[in-house]
Amino acid sequence: MNSDSCFTFTCPVKTNSGNIALENLPVELSGLNAGKPLVVTNIAKVGRKAVRTLTGAFGDSGMSLGVFDSLGDKVDPALIEQLRTTFIEEEYDSIIALGGGTIVDSAKILNLTVSLKITDVRNLSAQTPVNRNLLPLVVVPTADATGLETAQFARLNGAVLSSEYLAPVLVVIDPRLTRGKDVKTIYATGLAALGRALESHIIAKENPFRQAYSFAAIRFIRDNLPAAVRNPDDKKTTLAVINAAVMSGCAFSGTEARPLHKLGQVFQEMLKIHPGIIMGMCLPHILDDYLHRDGNGLASLLHPLTGDEEFAQTPEAQRAGAAVSVLHRFMADLHSALGKDVPQTLREAGVPLYAIEDIFEVLDVDPNGVYLRSVVERIRDKTPMAEKKG
Amino acid sequence: MEIVEVVRAGGKPFKRAYVSIFLWFTGRAIQAAAKVDEQVRREFNSLPDDFTFSLGVLPDGPWMVIGREKGQVKYLGGDPEGRHLHVRLAMKNIETAFLILSFRESTALATARNRLITEGEVPQALAMIRVMDIVEVYLLPKMIARLAVKRYPSWTPGRKFFGRIGIYSRAMLGI
Repeated sequence: MNSDSCFTFTCPVKTNSGNIALENLPVELSGLNAGKPLVVTNIAKVGRKAVRTLTGAFGDSGMSLGVFDSLGDKVDPALIEQLRTTFIEEEYDSIIALGGGTIVDSAKILNLTVSLKITDVRNLSAQTPVNRNLLPLVVVPTADATGLETAQFARLNGAVLSSEYLAPVLVVIDPRLTRGKDVKTIYATGLAALGRALESHIIAKENPFRQAYSFAAIRFIRDNLPAAVRNPDDKKTTLAVINAAVMSGCAFSGTEARPLHKLGQVFQEMLKIHPGIIMGMCLPHILDDYLHRDGNGLASLLHPLTGDEEFAQTPEAQRAGAAVSVLHRFMADLHSALGKDVPQTLREAGVPLYAIEDIFEVLDVDPNGVYLRSVVERIRDKTPMAEKKG
Repeated sequence: MEIVEVVRAGGKPFKRAYVSIFLWFTGRAIQAAAKVDEQVRREFNSLPDDFTFSLGVLPDGPWMVIGREKGQVKYLGGDPEGRHLHVRLAMKNIETAFLILSFRESTALATARNRLITEGEVPQALAMIRVMDIVEVYLLPKMIARLAVKRYPSWTPGRKFFGRIGIYSRAMLGI
């Protein structure tokens, strides 16, 4: 690391994590000068119990809160406008997003409309300037987080709004809400976190702050994801996986979108497949490609993926290759533990051929489209292991 | 049509009652310990003459207030409102208070986990933590006190026995 290099890093997110962390919400909100939050969530995704746990955490605080639990699978501008009107009329002063993915995107867009007094959500675009503090946004992630909850992005039907003010001010990670519904959910969350953390770490060589976040996220995944997928009901390991997702979002904020992230997002947006599933399929291919191209940043991955001793014992020239081998082993171990529970190809994921053609159309617009297309071709019906053998 | 359901935060009466009684009795026990135990007396002597300390739960209590008045340590009740406090130790919520005061988490661990907010001089706050640790050792059986304090002290049986009788009887009588 070069200490005299120039870098910037912003992470406005405060994290509260651990046993009974949710109960800190009233005191944290009052520290943010807020006392009447609006909770937004999708009850079909997070479950009734999660909503009850969240509202129960306000017990003895004397506060009253609004709960809207009918968000859909995508950000709905008409619904956001309705919520905006209620928010203003009922004088709410903060937003709590319970869940991950599009729930948090909806909360970010709602926050934007109420804070900047935007009446027509359809007018929002990637060019909309967001250059001042918004109302307090709190994110309470559940097991199906994507990692982008803490990032400074909000997706609105294809457009990506980006501003450091869009990031939540507080994230509360409570083990009562992080336990996975099934193996696939926690696997996808862990892989999304790992993918973004790896891509951030590769380019974070000159940015020690970003590196600290990505390093910790990779270590958390390495140490906890295998145990979490074996037992998605385990509080300790699933809590660590969600922490890694949160850290990966912070590390990823402010960086240029890389192939893994781009592919994950395209599939999520078009086919509603969790980005972690796609990132898990693409990860071995993309890392091999990095290694064959220059492998420069890959060497830095060896340290978080192994440990001080192995990193120090590996000659510098071999670190990139060793890091990729470790990752291949890690993925193979995960897949052998999971069996058929998670898809390893697009065919196993049930993606039809015509949908892949639609994906290609979107990817062709990307400056890196040819390469992204080639990766999709490779994950269509062959696992990385099968491809190597073939 | 209302699309947002309004939820009013309910109460936690059992936990609140437990914490209130605990703080009330501990307050009286600290007052008693200042008369019975030399180490507690020394801790208070190192504090300002008008020193006032409160321990309680955010946002609305319960609280206990301890202060020095004319050289004597007094339990000043459960209302810190309007008092000038030198040190305020606030547990962030009733669940945290219940966790700490039911000895499922020691004060040191709770502090490390950022469950307490300290307002005032840190050395004075630490003096009060030491006082509370001593009082807990007197009040509780060893098996439970070990969970509450960082390190269980090796006192003589005499100090523990007579101190315990003195503190319990004075705390009951409020003297």
